[in-house]
Amino acid sequence: MTSDMHLPPAFTTQRSARGILQWLNAPERRGPLLVAPAILTLFLVNILPLLWSFGLSFFNYRANRQAAPRFDGLDNYGDLLTDDRVWERFVTTGMIVAGSVGLQLIIGFGLALLFAKKFPLRRILLMLVLTPMMLSFVSVGIFFKLFYDPSLGLLSWIVGQFTGEPFAILATPAGAISAIVIADAWMWSPFVMLLVLAGLVSVPDYLYEAAHVDRASGWRRFRTITLPYVKGLILLALLFRTIETFKTFDLVYLITAGGPGSATETVAVYAYRLGFQNFRTSEASALAYLILFVVIVLTSLYLYLVNRRDAEAAS
Amino acid sequence: MTFRKHNEGGWGQTLVSGAIGLIYFAPVFWMVLTAFKTRQDALAIPPKLFFTPTLENFRAVFFDTTSSGELVATDAWLYFVNSAFIAGASVLLALILGTLAAYAFSRYPLRGNDTYLFIILTTRMLPPIVVIIPIFLLFRLTGLSGTYIGIILLYTSFNLPFSIWMMKSFFDDLDREVEDSARMDGSSDWAVFRRIVLPQVAAGLAATMVFALILTWNEFIFALLLTGTESRTVPVALASTVGGSVGVEWGKLSAMITLFLIPVVIVTFVLQNQLLRGVTFGTIRR
Amino acid sequence: MKKYLLACTAMFIGSTAMAEEIVIRMAAPDWGPTRFMQEHANETYSAPSGNDVTLEIDFIPWPNFFDRVNASLNSGEQRYQMIVSDSQWLGNFIEAGHFLRLNDYIEESDELQAIMADLHPALVAGYSTYPHVPADEIEALGGYSPEMNYYGFPQFPDNYFTYYRNDLFCDEGENAAFQETYGAELPCAPEAWETVTWDDWRNFGEFFTRAAGETLAGVELTEDFYGIAYQAGKPLDFSTMQINAFFWQWGGGIWDESNEPNAEVIGVVNSPENIAAFETYLSLLDYAPPIAQTGQMGIFEIQDLYMQGRIAAIIDWAALAGPVVDPSSSTVADVTSFGLMPGNILNGDLDRSANLGGQPFVLTTWNDEETIQEALDLVIWWLSEDTQIAAVQAGGQSGMMSVLNNPDYDSWAPWNAQFRQSLPWQRDLWHIPEMFEMLTQQQEEFDRAITGQISAEEALNAIAEFQDELLRDAGRLE
Repeated sequence: MTSDMHLPPAFTTQRSARGILQWLNAPERRGPLLVAPAILTLFLVNILPLLWSFGLSFFNYRANRQAAPRFDGLDNYGDLLTDDRVWERFVTTGMIVAGSVGLQLIIGFGLALLFAKKFPLRRILLMLVLTPMMLSFVSVGIFFKLFYDPSLGLLSWIVGQFTGEPFAILATPAGAISAIVIADAWMWSPFVMLLVLAGLVSVPDYLYEAAHVDRASGWRRFRTITLPYVKGLILLALLFRTIETFKTFDLVYLITAGGPGSATETVAVYAYRLGFQNFRTSEASALAYLILFVVIVLTSLYLYLVNRRDAEAAS
Repeated sequence: MTFRKHNEGGWGQTLVSGAIGLIYFAPVFWMVLTAFKTRQDALAIPPKLFFTPTLENFRAVFFDTTSSGELVATDAWLYFVNSAFIAGASVLLALILGTLAAYAFSRYPLRGNDTYLFIILTTRMLPPIVVIIPIFLLFRLTGLSGTYIGIILLYTSFNLPFSIWMMKSFFDDLDREVEDSARMDGSSDWAVFRRIVLPQVAAGLAATMVFALILTWNEFIFALLLTGTESRTVPVALASTVGGSVGVEWGKLSAMITLFLIPVVIVTFVLQNQLLRGVTFGTIRR
Repeated sequence: MKKYLLACTAMFIGSTAMAEEIVIRMAAPDWGPTRFMQEHANETYSAPSGNDVTLEIDFIPWPNFFDRVNASLNSGEQRYQMIVSDSQWLGNFIEAGHFLRLNDYIEESDELQAIMADLHPALVAGYSTYPHVPADEIEALGGYSPEMNYYGFPQFPDNYFTYYRNDLFCDEGENAAFQETYGAELPCAPEAWETVTWDDWRNFGEFFTRAAGETLAGVELTEDFYGIAYQAGKPLDFSTMQINAFFWQWGGGIWDESNEPNAEVIGVVNSPENIAAFETYLSLLDYAPPIAQTGQMGIFEIQDLYMQGRIAAIIDWAALAGPVVDPSSSTVADVTSFGLMPGNILNGDLDRSANLGGQPFVLTTWNDEETIQEALDLVIWWLSEDTQIAAVQAGGQSGMMSVLNNPDYDSWAPWNAQFRQSLPWQRDLWHIPEMFEMLTQQQEEFDRAITGQISAEEALNAIAEFQDELLRDAGRLE
């Protein structure tokens, strides 16, 4: 019985529940054991379908045809990478991500500084700022489209008070992109704020007191005391907001439908059109993996930069 | 610039934050206000701040008028209960699984720890629209389509990456000496985790919970495609107020948005103490 | 106790003897016409077979209706027995093997044959035939003919026409002023719209466009007022629906799918007629609300502006007319009348060609014979005269000529006369599977022209080039 030798003693010598528990409870298995349920869930519900569409991206398959999928190698990737429309969509998405995530960091940080101090009514006022991210994309998209309407919208009405002219922000490509950025940044700045705030309130008081004694300047205090405490959380905010904004779909679809022309069409919208409207199912999967690649590069870059600075600080 | 948290800002700070907060809140305020308006008032220009409020929109959420003029209850209650149940269950699940995994990633690093963490992150990176068909297929094969378990599992998996990353960053920031000395005093790992570690990351738990709740509560596209008539959630019902014989039923939509906002606002408000408490005093990182 | 037992056994025996319970599940957009169908079926439908048949409609939000149907069909979950489909989706889902060809069943059923013969040919063309057969050929074949392939039946037929403010078009002062400038009268009565051309429409637009502070029908305006509007929006098929009407009325056209593979794209789509038609379409946007400049002027945006009393006349669907005459949603409910859409004089006659709207409903391919028969009985019930009249009276529409010719038909809704008169002019967009790709690209190019980024000719050239290549790749063009 050679096979028994590879099994842990708990299974071979005594198959009691207690033995298994003991085996599981060994310190060296603690990590894998605690991680397993999460990884298993992710694998079943998320990674498996991802692999399926990854496989599909190498085939020629259309969901609206009865023909069986045909292996196509890297053709889909080649077609996409040589298509100007795809590059254009990546640039558009890049502009929206840069604009929106940038704004979110600035506004979020500003709001967090404002609410880091204690003051009367702080809890209620904080709730006011938090509500935008509690809305669904559908609600925000529909209402911002109304706000942007040149005849019935609040924005045009407010601008009209000064200029006397209706204001059609969605009429130009630049205007339409800023309209999307404004809606997205408004909705998600509270997310950044909450993360930064969680960091700010955990800075121990005595550090500031010590700095006060040292008569350190405001900027220096910020850089040496505050920033280290919120840096990890800012990175987290940056990571998740970049990932989420890269997927921007509903806001664009509802507010501009990608217009004027294709000026606001993001890669997610384009992937939707490819897959769900043009039925180029495998091409859409390939585009999804191009998106994944870009986002991975971007997020790795963030992580690399932060780690390098950590290493510098430690040395 | 001072960032001392015990520095009382006083009423001056209230004034500044209030002004900024109100401007920031204005679009939401407008949505809530619209819930009490007739259609004409909702679209009136110049915009109407003062008007005769109506509760008609809230009635329309819960009761339909048939062509013969009868009032029949809509499924709105069912949708609200569904939303609460699905969100509650999946947030709880994600929080438990995520916290355990995060603790393991932080305290018992595996070989290739960072790779695992990064792979977990990548599951959030694809636009949902692309993975819909495979997920749909998977749900059909497993018989999970239209069931509560299916959608709860799906939402749990959506919330896991953030929960794990968020909680790990909180665990990483804790002072391990306290844990080690407790262990030397003979506490079990579980006791250390429960009595010493968890209380210190209450802020992280609260923040994670709020974010997961918000994400789940408002998820639309998978709810649309994977829930049946019985397990349908409110965001899907929200979309039903759009694109019929009028573009948007502004009043009804706003009434639903308002009602739907209340539970999240309450939960967040209750958790605020934790959110703002930060990491327990006295612990210094590194 | 004895009684109770007896009742139980009676019920048990009764239910087994009474035969089966059959549920016909139908995917449908969530709105009035489908809600009515469910409600009316619950109240009045009992299957002639004696089976216990229930229609169970899965109501899906309109904006995402296609996504849900598409995901369901592509995944093969076989959830629905019937589906409400946009007419343009037919070819796609037929070629994918999801929608059932009905010829054999119609051939067997006199009732269904009678229905197909009674349906307006424009609707049979748009909603039922694939490959597409144009309405005039259907008429030549005498209504019903086994030579065509049948798939769908009208659930809600739709077409568009003019909604106008009779308080403005009938105002004496405005009429006098209009007469002075343009030497003509404003069309006050609905019948007066029968001779209105796009030139007149342009004049109405120019005349009624007023800035805040000017007067309109003797009242000083507090906000800008706009003359005319029709759909010019990038989402869905908005601009295409209106622009196609211009193409046809100018003697141009779109790629003719019923003449594949000989029909041309180059020289048809970018023909001089189409360019002239599109230029006219674009020029009329000058008198539309400023939202026209954003390429977001869809059917709902103009409906909202109209209901808020900001436009003199719009062209919109019958489906959207109900709320306009409802005082709870519209400020102009009691001053709205309906007229035909303007036309273009082509070869001496006024041409009013337009793009058909509305939705057919179809059967799916994975049902057993019994279920198919039950579903067809439901179709017969829906298209019976009583049900159709009830549907029209509840604000729906009918495509049955027997209903349209009912002497009371015009009185059931203020816009019914216009719906009826517009029907013969309806033609439809392509139905082939490639249509989504063609539509998306076309909407994008139209949008560039509407937002002033390119000219009409550039847009049409780009569209022609794209369609030519796509259709050649698909083997639909030689």
